[in-house]
Amino acid sequence: MVSKLSRSRFSGVLASFVGLVILAVLPGFVDPYSLRIVTGVLMWAGLACAWNIVGGYAGYISFGHSAFFGIGAYVTGILMQRDLGIPFLATLPLGILVAVGVAAAIGGPTMRLRGAYFAIATWAFAEMLMQVAIILDITGGTAGLSLPAYLNEFFFYYTMLVVALLAYLGTWYLLERTRFGFRLKALRDHEPAAEAMGIHTTLVKVQAFALSAGITSLFGSIYAYWVTFIDPRSVMGPEITDQMVVMVLLGGLGTVWGPALGATVLWLINRYIWSELGDTTIYLPILGLIIAMIVLFLPNGLISLLPGGRRGGGLMGRLLRKL
Amino acid sequence: MHADTARQTISRSPLVLEGLVKNFGGVTAVAGVDLEVASREVVGVIGPNGSGKSTLFNLIAGMLPMDEGRVWLDGKEVTGQPAWRIARAGLARTFQIPSLFDNISVHDNLMAAAVESGDWKRAPHRAKETMEMLEISHVADNLASELSGGQQKLLEFGRVCMRDPSVILLDEATAGVHPNIRRIMLEAIRRVRDSGATFLVIEHDMEMVREICDRIVVMDAGQVVAEGSFDEIADNIEVQKAYLGRQV
Ligand SMILES: Nc1ncnc2c1ncn2[C@@H]1O[C@H](COP(=O)(O)OP(=O)(O)OP(=O)(O)O)[C@@H](O)[C@H]1O
Ligand SMILES: [Mg+2]
Repeated sequence: MVSKLSRSRFSGVLASFVGLVILAVLPGFVDPYSLRIVTGVLMWAGLACAWNIVGGYAGYISFGHSAFFGIGAYVTGILMQRDLGIPFLATLPLGILVAVGVAAAIGGPTMRLRGAYFAIATWAFAEMLMQVAIILDITGGTAGLSLPAYLNEFFFYYTMLVVALLAYLGTWYLLERTRFGFRLKALRDHEPAAEAMGIHTTLVKVQAFALSAGITSLFGSIYAYWVTFIDPRSVMGPEITDQMVVMVLLGGLGTVWGPALGATVLWLINRYIWSELGDTTIYLPILGLIIAMIVLFLPNGLISLLPGGRRGGGLMGRLLRKL
Repeated sequence: MHADTARQTISRSPLVLEGLVKNFGGVTAVAGVDLEVASREVVGVIGPNGSGKSTLFNLIAGMLPMDEGRVWLDGKEVTGQPAWRIARAGLARTFQIPSLFDNISVHDNLMAAAVESGDWKRAPHRAKETMEMLEISHVADNLASELSGGQQKLLEFGRVCMRDPSVILLDEATAGVHPNIRRIMLEAIRRVRDSGATFLVIEHDMEMVREICDRIVVMDAGQVVAEGSFDEIADNIEVQKAYLGRQV
């Protein structure tokens, strides 16, 4: 038993090491197009990780995460305009700050209530924010906003890689190794019992939501600089949230590495459809189909198929019941 | 105001209830309950179904807002405070309906119970001790949802132990469990009591009541209708009225 456990742990460490080495040297071996796809995988893996903190660990479904992605993108986009000229790296903490503040403001009142209120409130907020971005001058409205171009795919690849790795290692540590993680899982599984243990559940939920929002914003910032042009639809559209949700469900809700797996698979499908059809309209029905299949046949996600993956457990069912 | 100060200085009992009232629409579930529990005392609360026992617990624990009344914990008033604050003030409870953290392991349930109480560094060690005491070490890595009904009851109690509380409320901690598990639970309750905790326990099992309770409080229709030792209660007329036509 013990040796089996340490052996699986050893193979896990070995696999991570090999994976890291491959990721580190990858840009030297692939063409720019493929590199962009992998950069996208890294970004979506990070976004799925962020959504999973609230959805998988706190058990609250957010349908408004696109708002935080957009906040990061616009904060960076606006601050980097020529008249302000703030350097890219300096815009990142500001985006995080705004996202965290907004998350606390929405989460405070809505996370005391049942999950459905939170789901609706986050959705409504994201819709509203997109409309605001459309009518404001500072965002460029529907005409969008161009950022200073920095055409260095290596830079964006490594930035996404480092930030995604930090997001995963940080959440792994925080959620699986500290009291904060126990607080979250406790309130996810049984809120009154968590309170009976002395856990200030509302505070912990809002902390988780704010953390998740901050990470999401960070990727929005990097994305904006990467693609050099943003408009309300492309950085605040509901498809962004949809994709985060499906990636997490596909990979494994409430697991540390599941979201990375789900993001990789789904983003590769997305890019394949794009390259084959030159269009992704068919992608949305595919997302819907995948959700139905997971709920029916794979409630613990792809990660449960891997050796050492999580056993059954009714996380998905509990999440749905909570609505 | 005057009387309050008097109350606080006179009684440093672990748990003091004064005039608790709770209405659900037209139904008065708890209709003016006064109670004082002394240190290391085990007080049994019995009464027919629907007599307001669980509601009383929810009021004490701050899980339901009360309409009237006051609660003191270790001489400190906790009336109207949120449940998590009352828990941190030293109250622990179990629930009538199993309320474990289903998607995490037995070991992690115990860890999660200790996040706000005591020395976190010692929590793994205490979890191990608690599992040994309750004889659930062999299922440490199982998800809580995979446990048998009896093991779930033990784990509920284990979480209480991890909190190292001064007052413990048990809502039918042994209802429907195997005699073996009941024995484990009984011994564990005695041990925790001996280490300084005070208990208020709702029990339907009269054997259990006789074995662990120092004093018994009988509730009917939201009120305390009798109070005394097991033998006094056993031949009390009010109690028989309350249970008339029901199985004790
Ligand atoms: N949340 C609620 N809403 C409305 N009525 C309630 C609620 N909780 C309890 N009641 C009512 O209050 C009364 C007391 O219920 P309570 O659960 O406290 O009784 P009990 O003594 O614990 O019974 P049992 O032995 O069956 O557990 C009952 O009439 C019950 O229907
Ligand atoms: Mg009850």
